[in-house]
Amino acid sequence: MSTSTTDLTHGHDDDAVKVPLLERIPGRGSAAAWPLGLAGVLILVGGTFLSWSYTSDVLGDLSVDFYPNGVQICMIALGVAALLFLLAHRGPLHRFGEWLDTAAAVRVLGLGAVAYMVITLGIIAYQSGGLVNINPGGWISLLGALLLAASGLMLVSRQHRDPLFAKTSSWLEISTIVVLMALVLFGAAYALDIGDGGSFLLFLLFVSAVALALTRAGAFTWVGLIAQKNRPVLMLGAFAVAFLFPFTQGGSDENMSIATQVLIFAATALGLNIVVGLAGLLDLGYIAFLGAGAYVGAVLSASAFATIDWKPPFIVVVLVGALFSAMLGLIIGSPTLRVSGDYLAIVTLAFGEIFRFTMGNLDGSNGPDITNGPNGIPAIPDLAIGSFDFGQPHTIAGITLGRFANYYFLLLLIAAIIILVFTRLNNSRIGRGWVAIREDEKAAEAMGVNVFGLKLFAFAGGAFLAGMAGTVKAHHDVSVTPDQYIFLESAFLLAAIVLGGMGTVAGVIVGATILKLLPEKLRFIADYRLLIFGLVLVLMMRFRPEGLIASHRRKLEFHEDDEELAQRIEAVHLEETEVKA
Amino acid sequence: MTDFLQQIVNGLTIGSLYALIAVGYTVVYGIVQLINFAHGEVFMIGAFGALATWTVLFKGQTGLWVLPVMVLGAVLVSVLTAVVMERIAYRPLRGAPRLAPLITAIGISVFLQEAVRLFYPGAKSKLVFPEIDVVTGTALSIGGLSIQRAAVFTVGALVLSAALLWYFVNRTRLGQGMQAVSQDPDTAQLMGINVNRIIVIAFAVGAALAALAGVAQGLLNSNIDFRMGFLAGLKAFTAAVLGGIGNIQGAVVGGLTLGIAESMATQFIPGQFGGSAWKDVWAFVLLILVLVFRPQGLLGARVVDRA
Repeated sequence: MSTSTTDLTHGHDDDAVKVPLLERIPGRGSAAAWPLGLAGVLILVGGTFLSWSYTSDVLGDLSVDFYPNGVQICMIALGVAALLFLLAHRGPLHRFGEWLDTAAAVRVLGLGAVAYMVITLGIIAYQSGGLVNINPGGWISLLGALLLAASGLMLVSRQHRDPLFAKTSSWLEISTIVVLMALVLFGAAYALDIGDGGSFLLFLLFVSAVALALTRAGAFTWVGLIAQKNRPVLMLGAFAVAFLFPFTQGGSDENMSIATQVLIFAATALGLNIVVGLAGLLDLGYIAFLGAGAYVGAVLSASAFATIDWKPPFIVVVLVGALFSAMLGLIIGSPTLRVSGDYLAIVTLAFGEIFRFTMGNLDGSNGPDITNGPNGIPAIPDLAIGSFDFGQPHTIAGITLGRFANYYFLLLLIAAIIILVFTRLNNSRIGRGWVAIREDEKAAEAMGVNVFGLKLFAFAGGAFLAGMAGTVKAHHDVSVTPDQYIFLESAFLLAAIVLGGMGTVAGVIVGATILKLLPEKLRFIADYRLLIFGLVLVLMMRFRPEGLIASHRRKLEFHEDDEELAQRIEAVHLEETEVKA
Repeated sequence: MTDFLQQIVNGLTIGSLYALIAVGYTVVYGIVQLINFAHGEVFMIGAFGALATWTVLFKGQTGLWVLPVMVLGAVLVSVLTAVVMERIAYRPLRGAPRLAPLITAIGISVFLQEAVRLFYPGAKSKLVFPEIDVVTGTALSIGGLSIQRAAVFTVGALVLSAALLWYFVNRTRLGQGMQAVSQDPDTAQLMGINVNRIIVIAFAVGAALAALAGVAQGLLNSNIDFRMGFLAGLKAFTAAVLGGIGNIQGAVVGGLTLGIAESMATQFIPGQFGGSAWKDVWAFVLLILVLVFRPQGLLGARVVDRA
């Protein structure tokens, strides 16, 4: 008993310290805050037009006056964003300011700008040997950032209305979505083109500062609402962006290779999301189903090492791979789905290991020769559907699309199928059954939900989708070996879901992108990749278990005692039903 | 017949190792219903702790008297890891949905493996574990059976720690507190038992035994690497489930059963699917079979139905 009382007083102490921390800042709420912010923006942006660095080989080239490069343009964009929020706080954009917590946004942007400038100047000083190599422009921008941050800390949030209840015309909503999509496309293309890790890190910092500012201002609440209202537009837009992406790459295979890897990973994670996110079955051996599909794809391919002498057309291979995978899912699922929770996690983990060992053993000496053992099946030829050879570059409208772009389009199709299955199931009787099982299995059973059947369906269905993706992966990767399907890969898939947000499509895609893209771009942390990965998982569970982009329902599950959140979610839900009616 | 007895010996050796690790899973599970997935890494860290102790204090020495100090070093490092892990990662998640601690555990597991790989000098490849007089060296030969010296150490360690553990759980105040908490945490708290302290002790006890297993593994294999915790942890979990998770005697019985089953499978499953290449597969098949047909395990424990 004594422990819980101390805990209580502890909580009080924390609250007591937290609130006045911001209040105690000198000059808080003074009239000078707003002009100070404007001045900060002007100085910040002014500085970017001057040279930041004496040497020209750091972070691209920061040494030319009046010719801002990418790193500096990010700062300009951040300044413009801050300016918009300042003008919404007081001034011509006041009308928008009523809905948004503008002070919080300026605060985040200001602090983000300071962090950005400090890191930039730090990199310049470190790489070119000393602070003397920083030119006045850099110091000026840092000063501007500091002023902006000070202004943000001094501004007081005004009473603002909840953006959830904003009534906006549909053309504004749709054009917002279109603009956001265009920004995503542009940002992705730009980010992939950044060569050095430092610039990439800075770009990442810039994006997260802006995203966090928009979140704190409450803009994303509104975006989330309009995204739900205009779901078809959003889906169409997202696919248009994904479809157009290869055309921005000018035939560069390097970036497209990363993009296809992200896509394979995301498609698999989306399949797993049906099992984990919707049905709540923790599957730690999911990679085995991808592997099963890949092995089917390899064994039935025209590779000289393929052990089965049957070369059906690819569409048949996809079906065989998916069905084989689903069959494995049924075999492993039908006995084990009777156990629940943690046990299921371990059983599936054991199954994943059984799969890997078995694939390694079926080499002719320890078992029948099917998989060629630890060496795997190499030299899998490129796909050819009809006369379309996936290995050859193709030219469409004057833009060359290389080998990876071809696979990219195919994988996009598969991802689209998986997303379609996911959303349709989620909104169906089956999806509601899964949610019921996830929340309380016994209650669901008492209400007449076919618990075992639905669980088995989720398990086998997820396996089917993974098998489908696996057959393409075999051709994309050229070789299939047991080492590609280790437990860590399952953990990565699970992490993509957890990181992004369980049970949401957007979240999983974001999570998969982060997990695959960051290691590719931040080569200098390559060795510490897994260390950071482990740490992020722990921290994520501790501080934001519902993921970056959480579904409302999930959020509530993790924060059961948050009454305010519950009421808001209820309000949104009512709003949605009104819109639908 | 000799083959059979030889496999029994091999099985008991590896089974003792599983049993030592399995106790950690079972003790923690019995009290907080948490599968401490990172327990395998605690075992691995124990082995590295012993090696570090030897390298720093006794490099080049092989006398038997260094072994207790090595074990002590291993136990210290492991217990510290487990207690810190409980405090930082698991305690804040008590009462969270079941998924959260499991994912945390995966995170810790990856983190610990990588931390050892990156920061222990030379750990990127296998490291040679020191030879110790009496407990390593030429195998003993008794009646046609070949018995590794380290195997004697391993089985001895299990017997000794099982006896100590039995005394601790049944005869000391803390042990009885542990039993009370595992039966009903809320009532135990009302009776004045400090539940948080009991949980920390459960983690520490499990870690100490895992550390002992780590030393044993080092002596048996004469090398250790940062990956050794994953498979051993998984096997030990299988052993814990086999015996009935939450049941301490069960963990020992389960470990020994699993070890013997594994070595029997190596020897006596005919045709291509026998042999050592398949022994891990059979161990996991056994896990699945047990969960399906007797989820409460061999010795029985309360059936788990929490989602």
